Amino acid sequence: MALVELHNVSKQFRKGDETITPLDEVSLQIEEGEFVSLMGPSGTGKSTLLNLVSGIDAPDAGSIVVDGTEVTALSRGQLADWRAANLGYIFQTHNLIPVLSAYENVELPTLLLKLSSAQRRERVELALDAVGLSDRAGHYPRQLSGGQEQRVGIARAIVAHPKVVVADEPTGSLDTETSEQIQALLKRLNRELNMTMLMVTHDSDVAAIASRQLLLDRGKFLDATAQTEAGRHAS
Amino acid sequence: MLLPWEYGVRNLMRRPLRTTLTLSALATVVILVFVVVGFIRGLERSLAISGDEDVVLVYSVNSEENIENSSIAARTAALLSASLQGTWKRFGVTHLSPELYLGTRVRTGDDGGGLGLVRGVTRVAPLVRRDVRIVEGRWPQSGEVMVGKLASAKLGATDEALAIGQTVHFEGESWRVSGRFSAGGGAYESEIWCNLADFQTATQRQDLSLVALLLAPGAAASEVSLFCKQRTDLELRAISETAYYATLQQHYKPVRVLAWFVVVLVSAAGVFAGLNMMYGAVAGRIRELATLQAIGYRRRAILISLIQEGMLLAAAASLLAGAIALTTLNGVAVRFTMGAFTLRIDSVAILVGCGVGILLGVLGAMPPALKALRQSVAISLKAV
Repeated sequence: MALVELHNVSKQFRKGDETITPLDEVSLQIEEGEFVSLMGPSGTGKSTLLNLVSGIDAPDAGSIVVDGTEVTALSRGQLADWRAANLGYIFQTHNLIPVLSAYENVELPTLLLKLSSAQRRERVELALDAVGLSDRAGHYPRQLSGGQEQRVGIARAIVAHPKVVVADEPTGSLDTETSEQIQALLKRLNRELNMTMLMVTHDSDVAAIASRQLLLDRGKFLDATAQTEAGRHAS
Repeated sequence: MLLPWEYGVRNLMRRPLRTTLTLSALATVVILVFVVVGFIRGLERSLAISGDEDVVLVYSVNSEENIENSSIAARTAALLSASLQGTWKRFGVTHLSPELYLGTRVRTGDDGGGLGLVRGVTRVAPLVRRDVRIVEGRWPQSGEVMVGKLASAKLGATDEALAIGQTVHFEGESWRVSGRFSAGGGAYESEIWCNLADFQTATQRQDLSLVALLLAPGAAASEVSLFCKQRTDLELRAISETAYYATLQQHYKPVRVLAWFVVVLVSAAGVFAGLNMMYGAVAGRIRELATLQAIGYRRRAILISLIQEGMLLAAAASLLAGAIALTTLNGVAVRFTMGAFTLRIDSVAILVGCGVGILLGVLGAMPPALKALRQSVAISLKAV
């Protein structure tokens, strides 16, 4: 059984008199430990799909099941609890809390888990160590470079040991060199921690680090089966 | 699970100028609340403690509740003394105080002054008015006056102008200040006391305004009332002193109601200050609040954190206002028609002032927080 399953998921938006359908009866399965990248032109529903898997948006039709939990059936409060325990979110613009230090930013998701302070500290230190920022733990976001901020964002996404990590254009706001470092880091985390990842990107080079690449256009996966097979062979 | 406390505290320091301005605005509002509540409490206390339940006032039936307008025959005191059994007597002295009480223009030595309250009394007066204590100087002799602690406030004069040895002028005479007295915060504290005979001479009056008498243990005011009703020729009425001031309290009820209304209006203005600050604080953090939701924080936790921020600022403003009120407002004298009283920043005033302050924080934080949290997380994550 796949870790993430989307069954005939549709989503529509109203924009004035026009109805936009970024996702039209989309189905997808992601296995545990798989690294899937999602590409496509702007406005084709990549981020919408990510938000639906994350439970921060709801589909108009279809169902989404993550590790046996039907996400689409959860209430808003239950979704928040589910995200805290099962999902890591990496944002394009890092979205660190400016008044909290790197350590405190990474610690935020662990405060939602039933952990002792010692366990919490251990997890935060391990996460910061995993992204190579142990020596910047006490720094505030304004004292970090863009790449370092994104690393803190990644540490925050993995610190709760989530089932799935979603990344929305994680290298979108970084220069080439920093982008390559982040790509390598994501690949390493997927490989070493067997972390299931779903990444949205518009950059084919970045998409290439994933074990499976999907292309979304006009609300549908383009030849998804073939791509899935190709991805499986590649991995 | 709530957000860390540090998150709210540090957010206040994110925009120091805005936070300082809001703190000042909130503190000003709370100080205004302290002033108004201190006014109400001071007025209530002044009237509440001005009255001895064992003292009965006898005055003209034609003067309504206003003793200043009362005129009764000078022989009334002797008649009452001879006719009533229930008046306190000690060492051969009947505790019965004939008094002439007038509102008159009083001029101080430095040409200051204003409308003062002057009471011509005999040496029996302090035996009946048991709260009166001479705190400085001595009892006035002929041509002298004794001033209450708040007499200067009532006149709008300085304490120095009414210091012992100074001269005041009223009713065409000059009077030397011989002493100062207190009356436990009661209404007498804003009065000027002088010798009854001297005052009658100065005012060219032979009559009295009232006779105050102290009841003996077990005696009832009804005996005095009965006497007044039987002697219709004297046109007297009797009322216990506590009942008299209770009636005055009723007269000032509209003032108190108006003052509470002012508290509400001032507080409403404060809510807008809180709203303005929190709208500004939240508007710049839409994406941040969405991020917290994406991480797994419930909206309730974020709402509580934002309210904590508002409350923390309001609590700091309340503390600041409380300190200012206690050090500079408490005890400040206020003039009113019946005399003067002091602003009273007591536990009730502190409770109301700080309560209003905290409420400003909560009410100011909730609408912007709810507005921010109602937006879709997916859309808010893309907010600039």
